[in-house]
Amino acid sequence: MAVDRREASIPVAAPPTATEPAAGAAVRQSSLWQDAWARYIRNKGAVVSAIIFLIIVLYCLVIPGFWKIPGAWTSIKDYDPNHVDFSQSYAGFSLDHPFSTDKFGRDLFARTAVGGQISIAIGFAATFMILIIGVVYGSVAGFIGGKLDNGMMRFLDALYGLPYLPFAIITTQILSPSGSVSFWSMVVALTIASWFTAARVVRGQIITLKENDYVRAAKAVGARWYRILARHLLPNTLGVLVIAIFLDLPGVVLGEAFLSFIGLGINPPTASWGSIAQDGREAYRLHPEVLFIPSLAIATLVLCANFIADGLRDALDPRTRETG
Amino acid sequence: MTTFIIRRVVWTIPVVLLVILMTFVMMKQIGGNPFRHTERNVPPAIQANLERKFNLDKPWYVQYVYYVKDVFTFDLGPSMSQRTRTVNDIIKDGFPKSLKLGILAFLWAAVLGIPFGVLAALKPNSIFDYFAMFFSSIGFALPSFFVATLLIYYVALKAGVVPTNGWPLSFWSLDDRVILPSFALGLFPMAYFARLVRGSMLETMQMDYVRTAKAKGLPYKRVVGLHVLRNSLIPVVTATAPLLGVIITGTFIIEFIFSIPGIGRYFINSVSNRDFSVVMGITVLTSVIVIIANLFVDIMYGILDPRTREAR
Repeated sequence: MAVDRREASIPVAAPPTATEPAAGAAVRQSSLWQDAWARYIRNKGAVVSAIIFLIIVLYCLVIPGFWKIPGAWTSIKDYDPNHVDFSQSYAGFSLDHPFSTDKFGRDLFARTAVGGQISIAIGFAATFMILIIGVVYGSVAGFIGGKLDNGMMRFLDALYGLPYLPFAIITTQILSPSGSVSFWSMVVALTIASWFTAARVVRGQIITLKENDYVRAAKAVGARWYRILARHLLPNTLGVLVIAIFLDLPGVVLGEAFLSFIGLGINPPTASWGSIAQDGREAYRLHPEVLFIPSLAIATLVLCANFIADGLRDALDPRTRETG
Repeated sequence: MTTFIIRRVVWTIPVVLLVILMTFVMMKQIGGNPFRHTERNVPPAIQANLERKFNLDKPWYVQYVYYVKDVFTFDLGPSMSQRTRTVNDIIKDGFPKSLKLGILAFLWAAVLGIPFGVLAALKPNSIFDYFAMFFSSIGFALPSFFVATLLIYYVALKAGVVPTNGWPLSFWSLDDRVILPSFALGLFPMAYFARLVRGSMLETMQMDYVRTAKAKGLPYKRVVGLHVLRNSLIPVVTATAPLLGVIITGTFIIEFIFSIPGIGRYFINSVSNRDFSVVMGITVLTSVIVIIANLFVDIMYGILDPRTREAR
């Protein structure tokens, strides 16, 4: 996040009530982010969510590397996420296997971490692709306007609300003719299935910003269109985009899990949270933990992302703050 | 109003054509030979004959026109892996089951979600409000397969209150087997409705006409029932169409977990079997349902809120 850590200079007791966006660009801009940071910090739920979110991400990044360090854990080989050991099948919770093991005796503490890397990476990769498409589509429609805007928005209306799963599944099938679905085909499929909202939001933002006096002023002094777009319009959509990251992420992470769970996503033995849940499905009557652990990880991540998005929205755009 | 409805209905036709075109073009990109059921190759002569029979030797736009014609005459073609059945047969078999699941899920959402939202909005920041919003946040975040498995594990297996899977086959029959799947599917829309109704109630209560009604000395119940509630339910109507897409996606997962022979299950099986005509038929069917739902919601919205008629 592009948030300045100069929050110490902000008196927390006197919260800034509203920010006027139209004022001398450079000075106000940093102050907008400072204000936002101060507001975010005061939102306890959002701060706690952000911390938990970071802990999950760190867990996924650090733990898989951890077992490689000799002596870092008592029985090192069991922490290899793909190490099969049938004597350890469904070993139960223990110090050696804090999250138990699956049917093949693979350690779930390591596997959930590796799977989390894949799930979160798919989540962020697809979210960024969504944002890139959204920015391009939305700013073309919003900036050019007129008939083109009308046509592009009608196209979005037509696609809006379509059930995304069939189209995502068809896309993964197109991109992986051999039947094994790759990381990038998942990213593309989930992007194609959910880019509409971002495009709509960016377009709305551009249209509102376009009417601002400073844009008129820039036009009046002869700024070219690309300068207006790059210098005056797009930077001001940054706030919406930061919120959009955490609004789109849950949908994509859940989408990956759904696809992998029904066996049309990330294929075993590669771990993702969805594919671990799929592994757990066959024996959930006796060993529900194999399914519950990745599901809880997904739920926690999604919950945190939702709270972070709420917190960011309140922080960056106080006008739309919900009552209560 | 009539012109608004006519304009809106006419606009639906190119949308349907576009969605069919998208599905069609996407399906054309998937590799694989539908006539190859075994490892042996189909002899070229037979392949050519089969292609001629299904018009596969024509250019793609001609094929598209044929397909559109078939869709509009409710003929989705033969299934490619189940020789004796057509896609229509499969949909006729599976769709009522999925429809019932979806309707029951919506009922859960409406019967529990809306009252929760209303009660939370009547006493904002009370314990009940926090409780309701906490649960709606959780309902938002839990993946439906997790909810479903939790329910099966604790309600069906541990407590033994209801069976773990199965589905009453006739459309009109209901028994205890429908409870868990429909609840698991309904949890997300329930959470969504609760949140939506709460937000829109709180917003409506700030409106001038509500203040006027209060100032006139109308009884509290009348203000809430007549002025606030009616107007704050409009977003619920509008949210129904996009939620339908979510519900349809959910049925795929729920049918998979509870072994319900609905269209979602057929879809998943058909993807694995490369049974393209079924995949395409179900995709087109679910999309058209959402488009028609969108149409109805827009018209309803036009009736409920006259301000929107001109804008569209």
